[in-house]
Amino acid sequence: MNFPWFKRIGIFFIPATVIGWILFAGEIVFAVYIFRDVDSKSHSVSDSLINFVFYLLISGAVYSLVAWLTSRRYKSV
Amino acid sequence: MALKKIIQMTKPEFKELKHEELLSDVLSNAKDKSVVSWWWLSVPLYIIAALLMKSMYNPQSSLISEIHELTNKERIFSVMFFLILPIIFMLINILSIRKIHILSESPISFKFLGTVWYNVLIILFSILIILIYVL
Repeated sequence: MNFPWFKRIGIFFIPATVIGWILFAGEIVFAVYIFRDVDSKSHSVSDSLINFVFYLLISGAVYSLVAWLTSRRYKSV
Repeated sequence: MALKKIIQMTKPEFKELKHEELLSDVLSNAKDKSVVSWWWLSVPLYIIAALLMKSMYNPQSSLISEIHELTNKERIFSVMFFLILPIIFMLINILSIRKIHILSESPISFKFLGTVWYNVLIILFSILIILIYVL
Protein backbone atom coordinates (compact mmCIF):
# COMPACT_ATOMS: atom_id res chain seq x y z
CA MET A 1 0.00 0.00 0.00
CA ASN A 2 1.52 3.34 -1.07
CA PHE A 3 0.84 6.56 0.78
CA PRO A 4 1.67 9.58 -1.32
CA TRP A 5 2.15 11.88 1.67
CA PHE A 6 5.84 12.79 1.24
CA LYS A 7 8.61 12.72 -1.33
CA ARG A 8 12.29 12.56 -0.49
CA ILE A 9 14.69 15.25 -1.69
CA GLY A 10 18.21 14.58 -0.44
CA ILE A 11 18.01 13.84 3.28
CA PHE A 12 14.70 15.66 3.72
CA PHE A 13 11.16 14.41 3.28
CA ILE A 14 9.06 17.14 1.69
CA PRO A 15 5.25 17.04 2.09
CA ALA A 16 3.36 16.20 -1.10
CA THR A 17 -0.22 16.26 0.16
CA VAL A 18 -2.36 18.19 2.64
CA ILE A 19 -1.91 15.50 5.32
CA GLY A 20 1.85 15.70 4.77
CA TRP A 21 1.77 19.47 5.20
CA ILE A 22 -0.31 19.09 8.41
CA LEU A 23 2.32 16.70 9.82
CA PHE A 24 5.10 19.07 8.76
CA ALA A 25 3.29 22.02 10.40
CA GLY A 26 2.91 19.90 13.56
CA GLU A 27 6.65 19.29 13.52
CA ILE A 28 7.34 23.05 13.21
CA VAL A 29 4.89 23.90 16.03
CA PHE A 30 6.52 21.24 18.24
CA ALA A 31 9.98 22.66 17.47
CA VAL A 32 8.86 26.20 18.37
CA TYR A 33 7.24 24.95 21.61
CA ILE A 34 10.37 23.00 22.57
CA PHE A 35 12.59 25.98 21.82
CA ARG A 36 10.50 28.27 24.04
CA ASP A 37 10.49 25.66 26.82
CA VAL A 38 14.25 25.02 26.61
CA ASP A 39 15.02 28.73 26.35
CA SER A 40 13.01 29.53 29.49
CA LYS A 41 15.06 27.01 31.53
CA SER A 42 18.54 27.69 30.11
CA HIS A 43 21.17 30.14 31.33
CA SER A 44 22.90 31.06 28.08
CA VAL A 45 22.49 31.03 24.30
CA SER A 46 24.77 27.99 23.89
CA ASP A 47 22.87 26.17 26.66
CA SER A 48 19.59 26.82 24.77
CA LEU A 49 20.97 25.73 21.41
CA ILE A 50 22.72 22.57 22.68
CA ASN A 51 19.53 21.29 24.33
CA PHE A 52 17.24 22.49 21.53
CA VAL A 53 19.24 20.73 18.78
CA PHE A 54 19.02 17.47 20.73
CA TYR A 55 15.19 17.62 20.83
CA LEU A 56 15.12 18.83 17.21
CA LEU A 57 17.11 15.77 16.09
CA ILE A 58 14.81 13.39 17.98
CA SER A 59 11.68 15.01 16.51
CA GLY A 60 13.34 15.03 13.06
CA ALA A 61 14.09 11.32 13.41
CA VAL A 62 10.47 10.54 14.31
CA TYR A 63 9.25 12.76 11.45
CA SER A 64 11.57 11.03 8.95
CA LEU A 65 10.34 7.60 10.09
CA VAL A 66 6.68 8.63 9.66
CA ALA A 67 7.50 10.26 6.31
CA TRP A 68 9.35 7.17 5.08
CA LEU A 69 6.47 4.88 6.05
CA THR A 70 4.00 7.10 4.20
CA SER A 71 6.21 8.24 1.33
CA ARG A 72 5.46 7.83 -2.36
CA ARG A 73 7.04 5.02 -4.31
CA TYR A 74 7.96 6.40 -7.74
CA LYS A 75 7.84 3.88 -10.54
CA SER A 76 9.52 4.48 -13.87
CA VAL A 77 7.11 4.33 -16.84
CA MET B 1 2.66 -15.46 -47.26
CA ALA B 2 2.82 -16.97 -43.78
CA LEU B 3 6.59 -17.25 -44.01
CA LYS B 4 6.83 -13.57 -45.03
CA LYS B 5 4.75 -12.63 -42.01
CA ILE B 6 6.94 -14.67 -39.71
CA ILE B 7 10.09 -13.03 -41.09
CA GLN B 8 8.57 -9.57 -40.62
CA MET B 9 7.63 -10.39 -37.04
CA THR B 10 10.15 -9.12 -34.54
CA LYS B 11 10.75 -9.77 -30.92
CA PRO B 12 8.70 -7.63 -28.53
CA GLU B 13 10.77 -4.63 -27.51
CA PHE B 14 10.74 -3.17 -24.03
CA LYS B 15 12.32 0.18 -23.41
CA GLU B 16 13.22 -0.92 -19.89
CA LEU B 17 13.54 -4.44 -18.64
CA LYS B 18 11.48 -5.50 -15.60
CA HIS B 19 14.75 -6.33 -13.90
CA GLU B 20 16.02 -2.75 -14.36
CA GLU B 21 12.79 -1.34 -12.95
CA LEU B 22 13.12 -3.64 -9.93
CA LEU B 23 16.75 -2.58 -9.41
CA SER B 24 15.75 1.08 -9.63
CA ASP B 25 13.05 0.55 -6.98
CA VAL B 26 15.49 -1.30 -4.70
CA LEU B 27 18.09 1.49 -5.09
CA SER B 28 15.50 4.15 -4.27
CA ASN B 29 14.26 2.17 -1.28
CA ALA B 30 17.81 1.65 -0.03
CA LYS B 31 18.45 5.39 -0.24
CA ASP B 32 15.21 6.12 1.68
CA LYS B 33 16.22 3.65 4.40
CA SER B 34 19.70 5.14 4.65
CA VAL B 35 18.19 8.65 5.08
CA VAL B 36 15.94 7.44 7.92
CA SER B 37 18.96 5.65 9.46
CA TRP B 38 20.97 8.86 9.20
CA TRP B 39 18.32 10.86 11.09
CA TRP B 40 18.17 8.28 13.90
CA LEU B 41 21.96 7.89 14.13
CA SER B 42 22.38 11.67 14.25
CA VAL B 43 21.06 11.60 17.85
CA PRO B 44 23.86 9.40 19.34
CA LEU B 45 26.42 11.10 17.08
CA TYR B 46 25.33 14.49 18.40
CA ILE B 47 25.58 13.24 22.01
CA ILE B 48 29.06 11.83 21.30
CA ALA B 49 30.15 15.17 19.78
CA ALA B 50 28.76 17.08 22.78
CA LEU B 51 30.43 14.74 25.30
CA LEU B 52 33.69 14.90 23.34
CA MET B 53 33.66 18.69 23.59
CA LYS B 54 32.82 18.47 27.30
CA SER B 55 35.72 16.07 27.91
CA MET B 56 38.07 18.40 26.03
CA TYR B 57 37.21 21.28 28.34
CA ASN B 58 37.35 19.11 31.46
CA PRO B 59 40.84 17.55 31.76
CA GLN B 60 39.73 15.10 34.50
CA SER B 61 37.21 13.35 32.25
CA SER B 62 37.31 11.48 28.94
CA LEU B 63 34.72 10.59 26.29
CA ILE B 64 34.48 7.02 27.57
CA SER B 65 33.98 8.09 31.19
CA GLU B 66 31.31 10.60 30.09
CA ILE B 67 29.51 7.85 28.15
CA HIS B 68 29.67 5.57 31.23
CA GLU B 69 28.24 8.39 33.34
CA LEU B 70 25.40 8.88 30.85
CA THR B 71 24.74 5.12 30.88
CA ASN B 72 24.48 5.12 34.67
CA LYS B 73 22.06 8.07 34.62
CA GLU B 74 19.93 7.09 31.60
CA ARG B 75 20.30 3.35 31.14
CA ILE B 76 17.32 2.65 28.84
CA PHE B 77 17.95 5.72 26.67
CA SER B 78 21.64 4.96 26.22
CA VAL B 79 21.11 1.26 25.44
CA MET B 80 18.41 2.20 22.94
CA PHE B 81 20.38 4.91 21.10
CA PHE B 82 23.92 3.54 21.44
CA LEU B 83 23.33 -0.18 21.01
CA ILE B 84 19.92 -1.31 19.75
CA LEU B 85 19.28 1.34 17.06
CA PRO B 86 22.80 1.19 15.53
CA ILE B 87 22.56 -2.62 15.34
CA ILE B 88 19.11 -2.42 13.70
CA PHE B 89 20.20 0.20 11.15
CA MET B 90 23.44 -1.64 10.45
CA LEU B 91 21.49 -4.82 9.64
CA ILE B 92 18.93 -2.92 7.52
CA ASN B 93 21.69 -1.29 5.45
CA ILE B 94 23.67 -4.54 5.10
CA LEU B 95 20.52 -6.25 3.79
CA SER B 96 19.89 -3.33 1.38
CA ILE B 97 23.44 -3.60 0.00
CA ARG B 98 23.10 -7.37 -0.33
CA LYS B 99 19.82 -6.97 -2.24
CA ILE B 100 21.36 -4.42 -4.62
CA HIS B 101 24.40 -6.66 -5.08
CA ILE B 102 22.23 -9.66 -5.99
CA LEU B 103 20.02 -7.67 -8.39
CA SER B 104 22.82 -5.75 -10.08
CA GLU B 105 24.78 -9.00 -10.62
CA SER B 106 28.00 -7.03 -10.52
CA PRO B 107 31.10 -7.88 -8.50
CA ILE B 108 32.02 -5.68 -5.55
CA SER B 109 34.01 -2.90 -7.20
CA PHE B 110 34.54 0.86 -6.83
CA LYS B 111 31.56 1.42 -9.14
CA PHE B 112 29.34 -0.73 -6.93
CA LEU B 113 30.63 0.97 -3.76
CA GLY B 114 29.93 4.33 -5.43
CA THR B 115 26.29 3.29 -5.78
CA VAL B 116 25.89 2.20 -2.15
CA TRP B 117 28.35 4.60 -0.49
CA TYR B 118 25.65 6.18 1.68
CA ASN B 119 24.62 2.78 3.10
CA VAL B 120 28.29 1.92 3.73
CA LEU B 121 28.73 5.23 5.56
CA ILE B 122 25.74 4.44 7.79
CA ILE B 123 27.21 1.01 8.60
CA LEU B 124 30.57 2.59 9.51
CA PHE B 125 28.89 5.17 11.74
CA SER B 126 26.85 2.42 13.43
CA ILE B 127 30.03 0.43 14.15
CA LEU B 128 31.70 3.58 15.51
CA ILE B 129 28.79 4.30 17.88
CA ILE B 130 28.69 0.69 19.13
CA LEU B 131 32.48 0.63 19.64
CA ILE B 132 32.44 3.90 21.61
CA TYR B 133 29.59 2.58 23.75
CA VAL B 134 31.05 -0.86 24.54
CA LEU B 135 34.60 0.37 25.22
